[in-house]
Formats: sequence, C-alpha cells, structure tokens
Amino acid sequence: MQALPSTSANSPHARRPRVWGWVLLAPMIAWLVLFVILPMVILFVYSFCTRDDLGRVVFEFTFDNYRRVGDPIYLTILGRSIAYAALTTVLCIALGYPVAWFIARQREAVRNTLLLLVMIPFWTSFLIRTYAWITILKGEGLLNGLLLAVGFIPEPLTLLYTPFAVIIGLVYAYLPFMILPIYGSAEKLDNALVEAAHDLGAGPVRAFSEVIVPLTWPGIAAGVLLVFVPAIGMFAITDLMGGARVPMIGNIIQNQFSKAFNWPFGAALGVVFTFMFILAYALIQRRGARDPHS
Amino acid sequence: MKLLRILPLLVLAAVFATVARAADKELNLYAWSEYIPQSVLDDFTKETGIKVNYETFASGEEMLAKLLAGGSRYDLIQPPDYIAEALIKNKLLIALDYKKLPNFKNLLPEFTKMPHDPEQKFTIPYMAGTVGIVVNTEKIKEPVTGYKDLFQKKYKDRIVVLDDGRELVVAALYTLGIGLNDITPANLEKARPVLADWFKLIKLFDSDSPKTALLNGDVDLGLVWGGEGAILWNEDKKFQYILPSEGAHLFVDILAIPKGARNQVAAHKFLDYILRPEVSAAISEEFPYTNPNGEARKLLKPEQLANPASYPKIVKKLDTFRHIGESSTLIDELVTDLKNAK
Amino acid sequence: MPTPTASRPLLPSGLRLLNLGFGVWTVLVFIFLYLPILVLVAYSFNTSKLNIVWEGFTFRWYADLWSNVPITRALKNSLIIASFTTVAAVVIGTGGAWLLHRYRYRFSRTLQTLICVPMIMPEIVMGISLLVFFTVINLELGFLTVILAHVTFCFPFVLVAVQARLQGLDPALEEAALDLGASPLKAFWLVIVPCLRPAIISGALMAFTLSMDELIITVFTNGLGSATLPTVVYGMAKKGLNPMLNALSAIFILTTIAFVLFSSHLRKLSTR
Repeated sequence: MQALPSTSANSPHARRPRVWGWVLLAPMIAWLVLFVILPMVILFVYSFCTRDDLGRVVFEFTFDNYRRVGDPIYLTILGRSIAYAALTTVLCIALGYPVAWFIARQREAVRNTLLLLVMIPFWTSFLIRTYAWITILKGEGLLNGLLLAVGFIPEPLTLLYTPFAVIIGLVYAYLPFMILPIYGSAEKLDNALVEAAHDLGAGPVRAFSEVIVPLTWPGIAAGVLLVFVPAIGMFAITDLMGGARVPMIGNIIQNQFSKAFNWPFGAALGVVFTFMFILAYALIQRRGARDPHS
Repeated sequence: MKLLRILPLLVLAAVFATVARAADKELNLYAWSEYIPQSVLDDFTKETGIKVNYETFASGEEMLAKLLAGGSRYDLIQPPDYIAEALIKNKLLIALDYKKLPNFKNLLPEFTKMPHDPEQKFTIPYMAGTVGIVVNTEKIKEPVTGYKDLFQKKYKDRIVVLDDGRELVVAALYTLGIGLNDITPANLEKARPVLADWFKLIKLFDSDSPKTALLNGDVDLGLVWGGEGAILWNEDKKFQYILPSEGAHLFVDILAIPKGARNQVAAHKFLDYILRPEVSAAISEEFPYTNPNGEARKLLKPEQLANPASYPKIVKKLDTFRHIGESSTLIDELVTDLKNAK
Repeated sequence: MPTPTASRPLLPSGLRLLNLGFGVWTVLVFIFLYLPILVLVAYSFNTSKLNIVWEGFTFRWYADLWSNVPITRALKNSLIIASFTTVAAVVIGTGGAWLLHRYRYRFSRTLQTLICVPMIMPEIVMGISLLVFFTVINLELGFLTVILAHVTFCFPFVLVAVQARLQGLDPALEEAALDLGASPLKAFWLVIVPCLRPAIISGALMAFTLSMDELIITVFTNGLGSATLPTVVYGMAKKGLNPMLNALSAIFILTTIAFVLFSSHLRKLSTR
C-alpha cells in the first residue's frame, strides 16, 4: 500500500508553486470548498444538533449523537462492511489484473475498443442488471439449471440471498474500477523491460511477479482506492442480492435520513465515518512518504 | 473518444430541454412514481389547457426532505397519511376550498375525517392499501390466517417480509394485543423476543419489490403491500392475499396543497378532476390499489373488485399509522440490533 | 510509442505462454461481464409484463418504447448529464492531478485527502447536504445542480487514475519540451496530455459510467424535468420492471457496441 497515489505529491521533481501554479489550481480548490468542505461543515454542525419530530435539525447543542455512535453495534456493522469491501477488492485484483495487462498489450485501436467494452455493460441500469443476476442465481435460475443439466449437482443450490451472491454482485459492480486504473499504468510498460527480465534468467512467473507487478504498483494502488473505498458504503447490492438480512454501514446512515427521521444522528455517523477514513488515509500517506521504496 | 465528438449535439439538446416555462398554465405535481397514469394527466391537459409537470419520488421520506428544503415549488403533493399528519401539525399544508371540489361527495365516508386529518380540512385520499400476508397456495396447503401461522418454524427460509422496521414492529405488537401506534420503549421491549424469533425464519427483506422472490419461487409466503399482493394475484391466482386476523394496517396516500404553492386554482381543478368517478376508475384500471371513491367503485369490473388484495375481506377494523415522531428512532435501533444479531 | 505488436513475435516463449494465459483469462472475465447483459437482452423479448419469469417471445416492448415518453426522455437526460459531467470531471481531474504532481503545494496532502472524501461520503449524506446547500444559495434544482453534484463525486476517480499514470512519468519529458522553447502550457498540452491519454480515457469512462448509474445523489439534487434513467427505473420497481426497460437497455447497449466496433474498424481501414 506504500504506493498510494498520494506520493506523487511528494515527487522529487515537484517545485514550489508560483503565481500560476496557484491560479490554475484555484478552480479545483473552489470546487472542493463549495461542494465538499461546505457540505461537510453543514454535516458537522448538524451532528451536534437535536431534531424536531419531522427529523429536521433544531439548533440546540447536544453531544448525544456522538455518544450513540460509540455503541459497539455500529462498530460491528462497520467491521462487516469493511470485510466485504476488502474481499471484493482482493477478488477484483485477481480477476482484473490479467485483463488490464492483456488489454494494455494490444494495438491502440483494439485497446480503446476493449476498454469501452469493459465499461459498456454498466451503462444499463443498476436495477435491471441486478435483476438479471437474480434471474441467473435464483433457485430455478439459469446457473442451477445448467449445473443440474450437466449432472454436476443432484439438487438446486441456494445461491441467491447468501453472502456468495453478495460477493458476486460486489465484484461485478466494481471490477471495471480495478481494471481501468491498472490498465492506465500497465500500458506504458515497455516490452523490452519485460524481456530484459526474462533474459536475465527469470522465468515468466518470476519476471511477472518481480518486474511487472512492482512497476504497475501505482495502478494497483489506485484501483484499490477506487474499489475499496466506495465499496465500504455500498448497500444496494447487499440488500438486493443478500436479501437485506444483515445491515451494512450504508444502510444505517441511509435509514437515519429516511425511516428513522433522525438527521442529526445520521450526520454524526457520516462525520465519524468520514473522519475515520481521513485518518486512515493520512496515516497511509505518511508511511508512504517515509518509505523510500515507493 | 467518440463521446467527446457528439458532445456539441448534447449541449444543444440540454439548452432546449431547459427552455423557460410559462407558469400560470402549469401545475407542478410531486407524486409517487408509477401512481398516476399518463393518460389521466393528458386528458386533464386537453380539457383545461393546464400542463401537468409530474415530478416523481420513490419514498415518502425523499418527498419530505425535498419539500422541507423548499428547493422546488410544488402545487400538489402526494404524501402517505402519517407524513401528511406531520405536515398538518407543522402547518405546512394549505386548507382546501370545498366550493371548488363538488366531486368530494363521491368519496366513501370511511375515507374522510380519518385520524391524520380529523377535521377533513387539508387532504384528499387518492388511493389506499393494506399490508397483509401472501401465500403461494400451491406450496403451502395449510391455512394461514394470521401472523402466528405465517411465522412458523417449518416455514424457515421460505418467507419474505417488507424491509420496513415499523411494519414489522407493528405486526409483532398486533400478536401481543398492543395498539399499532403505541410505540413506547416498554412495548418495544415486549416486541423484541417475538421479532427475534421471526427474524430467524425470514429469508429476505424487501420493500421495493417483494413480489420478485415470490414469483421466482425462492419463497412461498410473504408479508407485503396490498398493491404487490394484487399484482401477484393478477399474475397467478395461486397467490392468495389475507389480512392477518390479529389486526392489519391500512395506509392512505393523499393529495394535498403545500404552503408556497403558486397555482392553487389549478391544484383544486386537478383534485376535483381526480375525484370524478370515471377518472378514479381509470386509475384503478392501471393500478390495483384500494379505491376510496364510492362512485368509482361502481364502475369497476367484477374481477377488479374480486381481487382479494385490492378489496380484502376485513375481519377486524383496520388501523392507520399515526405520526410517531421521535419514536421512529427506537424502531430503527431495535430492528438494526436484531438484524445484526441474526 | 512503438506498437507492442511489432515486438510481440520476439517475445520469449515463456512470456508468450503467459500472454496466452492472460488472453484466455480476459475472455472468461468478459463472459462474466456480459452474462447478465445477455440475460437482460433475452428478457427484453419476454411476454410477461412483470418480467420475472419467462413466459413467451414478443417484440411488443420495442414497439411500446417509441410511445413511452418518460423513459426515453430519462435516457436523454442521463446522457446529457453524464456527458457534461465527464467533460468537467476530466478537465478538473487531469488538471488537478498534473498540478499536484508538478508543484509542491503547502497543503498538498490535505488537498489529496479532501479529494478522496467524496468517494467515501455516503451518497445520502452527500445528497442531503448538497440539497441543503443548493437551497441555501437559492439555486433552483435541475440539470445544473445534478451536474454539479455528479462532477463532485466523479472527478476524484479521474484524478486518481491520472495520478497513477503520472507516477511513472519521466520528469525529463517536460523539461526537454521546455528546453526546446515550448511554453509550460504548450508542453502540457503537446507532451504531457498525450502521455496521459490512456489514464484520461480510463478516467473519462469511469466518470461517464458513475454518472449514468448514480441514483441517490441524483434523487436529492434533481428538480422538474431532470429525472434520470436510474430514478425512473427505481420508481418503476414498484409496478414491476417491465421488459420495456430491458428493450431500452438492449437498444442502447447494442448500438453503442456497434458504434464502437464500427468506428475502430473504420480507423483500421484508414490507417492501412
């Protein structure tokens, strides 16, 4: 993880910005201030408020929302969400890395076509895609039908509404977000380099694991970031394919703004969740900066 | 990238899409998606020249959030009954002018002066429904009459229920003989062991489309919205809908004019139009909910009235949800806790 | 850049084997990606209105699609919003990544973390806080607010993808261009951007896809007339996701694929 993209900020060739460096960055800073920091401030203020009976915020200071966040139940739920996200990330790397590498080895026109083909399935609607998966995985579904016909299994398996289905759904949804960044950094690798490694006596597997993979670390790290982080908050897939039997942190937060009519507590959960992420991210960044290997 | 090349065309399209609208001949309607047939809206426009802008929501809470934020100005909204009650309490609705609503008399008396609007000042019922039990009678031969027959050990992993804490808690309270609006910490503690047992038997929770798992055959029993039950029955008569003997919950979706509405005249015209028997019957034709309009019911076909989920046999007086305010947090805590422990 | 194919025949046999293995793997992954799409297309011919169980074959839904204004309008809205979002996200994301790479700002690390916050922020939290924010500044909900919201959670994806690419970039590249007398802007446009192209394309694709598929934030930031396809589809679940939606997706997907394959074929012909 030492190669998180952040380290580019510490690139040895980076200079101190002069006027233009700041002027050009200004639009992005403005964007961040307006649409990220300000909403976060609103959220932060809300999290210390009480509510009226419509769930609306009443500006009256309280610390109760944070006291409730400390309940161990929310920690277990967060732990579960993180575990699912981590498993998804690992599987996405395993499935996606060879694909990214293979696409990167093609001619440019073919490369772009293949990249588009990776993404196009996701231009349909999420619900319709998920219902297609339900059609495949259900008790009398296509997969069971196929396995029964081949004689692989004596009776239909229970696939749908299990953790297995959830993982399939999550991997399916996030796989492209692993393939694309890895492709971005694998594309520039020179074949000559790979061959050189091979010429020096490394077998294909060693050449791959000791030369190629380290060179694409930035891509893998970016992919991990783009898959792992959003997957923690995901709950639509766990609801639809897992039967909503176990709550995820995303459900909990969503509920506070809807059924539970408790915006301030939802805000407090959101604040804690976001700050935990910021803290973890900052720690990893710091370690990455200290580690000269990256 | 091809996409970038067709962009100028899209820019033009966007400009056309946001052309300014004339305000006085328009009605901004904020309602449930898939609840008002397009033909009904088109006929209204043809008759009055008022264009209906139908903006949709998929949950009552979503509607409430947007309404409270006040970002858009709506002339007519369609909240569920208990949210309407909260809106009335917070003085967010405008009183109706009954002189402009001659068709109001068509409504069945049991759908007026309901607990959410006891003086019948602010709300017009649009459609109603119940929450009940669906049984796949091909797979389940024993009779099911109440919650206790539904949640039996032998039906483990064959049950779908609504993913809605309040509906589940209310079902548990009914089996204990507690009123559905008595949401107190003590009553919830009594409901906890009942729910804990039930949760072990449930295969999945789904509020959006519980019919899917039933049709797929992944489950054989369910606690679902009446509308879902009606669709299932229309699809296959093996899906029977039963109102639980312990007691059941009636919900009414209402139409109301929110504070800040710009075109109240058009809103009243639309309300009166919806209350016409033939219009109301046309809505029932498309959506099999319980029609509160007595005159409209006379126009329905016998098979529509025979649908047990739209017009269920009422064993016990039905109750409606009241606005419970902050107690909804207690329900959410309880259900989260039980689901997590499962 | 030398095309990899030119040197491929020279690859040692072991590596060629590895490449072959990866090729087979890629085919399998593509089957995984397109399996639900095949089911989806097949079910667009289903006679059952609820479209959960297969009943029979019909073309009816394709015909019905022409007359269903809300659905086609929603698709159009989605495309408009996703296109604008993609362009803005690519500009902000690429520019931001480059600036953070080239200059050492005092708050570089803080900025970096902030940029990633929209990815972790639960959608409903972002949706509601943006709704409150837009209301406070009195911005009418509509296309503009949806695009602003979408850009906010899309551009970090572009930025992260481009940064990963920048990390391996030879710093001499820009210096050489500058030494040859190019202005920094020209050096960026003519030297750096072409180098970053694969990452920019990846980022753009991710941004477009995220925007096309986003539901919750859209729900809270859209207004009259800016309903997108996901919001309409979600609303329809109550009545049953009828095969018309599959038909729409099928047409959209198949024309896009045909277009992509056709244009790459054309390019092949022209380069020959």
